[in-house]
Amino acid sequence: MDAIRMSRVWREPARLIVFVGILFSPLQALALEVPPLTERIVDLAHVLPPRDFDQLTAQLKTHEEKTGNQVAVLILPSLEGEPLEEYSHRVATTWKLGQKGTDNGVLLLIALEERKLRIEVGYGLEGTLTDLRSAHIIRNEIVPRFKAGDIPAGVRAGTEAILKTIEGTYQAQESPSDRIKPGQETSGLQYVIIGIIVGFLAGIVLSQGLRKTRALLGSILTFMVAQLASIPLGLVAAGFTAFLLWMVLSANSGRRRGTGPSDWTWYSSRGGGWSGGSFDSGGFSGGGGDFGGGGASGDW
Amino acid sequence: MGRGCTILIGLLLVASLSGCGYNDLQGLDEDTKAAWSEVVNQYQRRADLIPNLVATVKGYAAHEKDTLEGVVQARAQATGIQVTPEMLKDPVAFEQFQKAQAGLTSALGRLIAVAENYPNLKADQNFRDLQSQLEGTENRITVARKRYIDRVAEYNKMVRYFPTSLTAKLLLHMEEKPNFTVADEKAVAKPPEVKFN
Repeated sequence: MDAIRMSRVWREPARLIVFVGILFSPLQALALEVPPLTERIVDLAHVLPPRDFDQLTAQLKTHEEKTGNQVAVLILPSLEGEPLEEYSHRVATTWKLGQKGTDNGVLLLIALEERKLRIEVGYGLEGTLTDLRSAHIIRNEIVPRFKAGDIPAGVRAGTEAILKTIEGTYQAQESPSDRIKPGQETSGLQYVIIGIIVGFLAGIVLSQGLRKTRALLGSILTFMVAQLASIPLGLVAAGFTAFLLWMVLSANSGRRRGTGPSDWTWYSSRGGGWSGGSFDSGGFSGGGGDFGGGGASGDW
Repeated sequence: MGRGCTILIGLLLVASLSGCGYNDLQGLDEDTKAAWSEVVNQYQRRADLIPNLVATVKGYAAHEKDTLEGVVQARAQATGIQVTPEMLKDPVAFEQFQKAQAGLTSALGRLIAVAENYPNLKADQNFRDLQSQLEGTENRITVARKRYIDRVAEYNKMVRYFPTSLTAKLLLHMEEKPNFTVADEKAVAKPPEVKFN
């Protein structure tokens, strides 16, 4: 009986997925989810004709290459009861529009059913794209066109006004999509280097090579290990180096603990091979900008 | 060897401090202070907008004396409170600050509601601009408060959880920090409605 019911469930994968989804994400069922950031324009209501979509996307891309500002548009069929300001802030901070540090991102969010829209402005652009300027763009550029029933024209005019306002606030320093990765790699590398140094010291101490300096080295070591304790990558590097050195030194001096299990070395080296891989999806992604609630809302 | 041992023990002690959350506690303490500054900053911004707003409304609805007076008084009360970082250690002072700001929020709400009755006022460009700015500031206040609430929750957890609670209470003399209450949160989370007609 149970087996039959199970197989019926398996035959309906869609229902199963929904069931599992409800089981594991009770919160997401309540709040409207933030859609994935696939492109600069996420048109979930399918109101933009392909020509407008391509043209605007290209415009936003050129703007980002020139200034580093990340501007994105989200068009929703409905907010599903979610308060506009709260949801808009959630989307903007989840997408992390704008560059890390300069926080130069802007989100234009439009909810068709509620006939509400909002311009959410990142910290770094609040000085140029002020609440007032945002309100004016909504009031004078977007709303009249929306009222006339021409959504694409409103989106175009609004986006253009936003771009014109924030033009010249920042200069792009490098290709924006490359900006985070090097930083992450260097910090990873730093920990590996510290780890290797720590491991080197540990190896000497363990092998009992130098009696007099042993205590001092040991104490420096303890301190560094404590600093390193939160970074697994550094610890792995330290452990690996220490182990290698211990093996080499104790073999050379022919002293104690000759039982170095060889598969341990293999295991450690495998662990050490794990280093900061970046997961780049290839599409458009936020640069790490933050939002403090600046901008303006409106309706039509 | 003896001296080496002493150094070793000394450094071990220093090292164990970072294991007991000494640095984390200090960091979180700074974070809560920064989040608090942002809250105060945004409240100040709101207070700065009010004189202009009151003057504009007076131009169209001078006889709404009670409402206008209410806003002016609530503003005076809110700005009269000396805001210091020490306030975060004093739940009473914190409560007082929160109450004064909530009072200003509701006085402003009444003013905006009254403005609805004056079509000329509602159409005034200056008034609309001020209203947009006020709305933006209220939204920033909501965000700043939410960030403060999150930071303090994190900090308070550390002050109360076991190994770090020893470091916090015995070594650093850190206490739990007061947070915004839900009742007040509800009042502020609702930004004044603005319609562009």
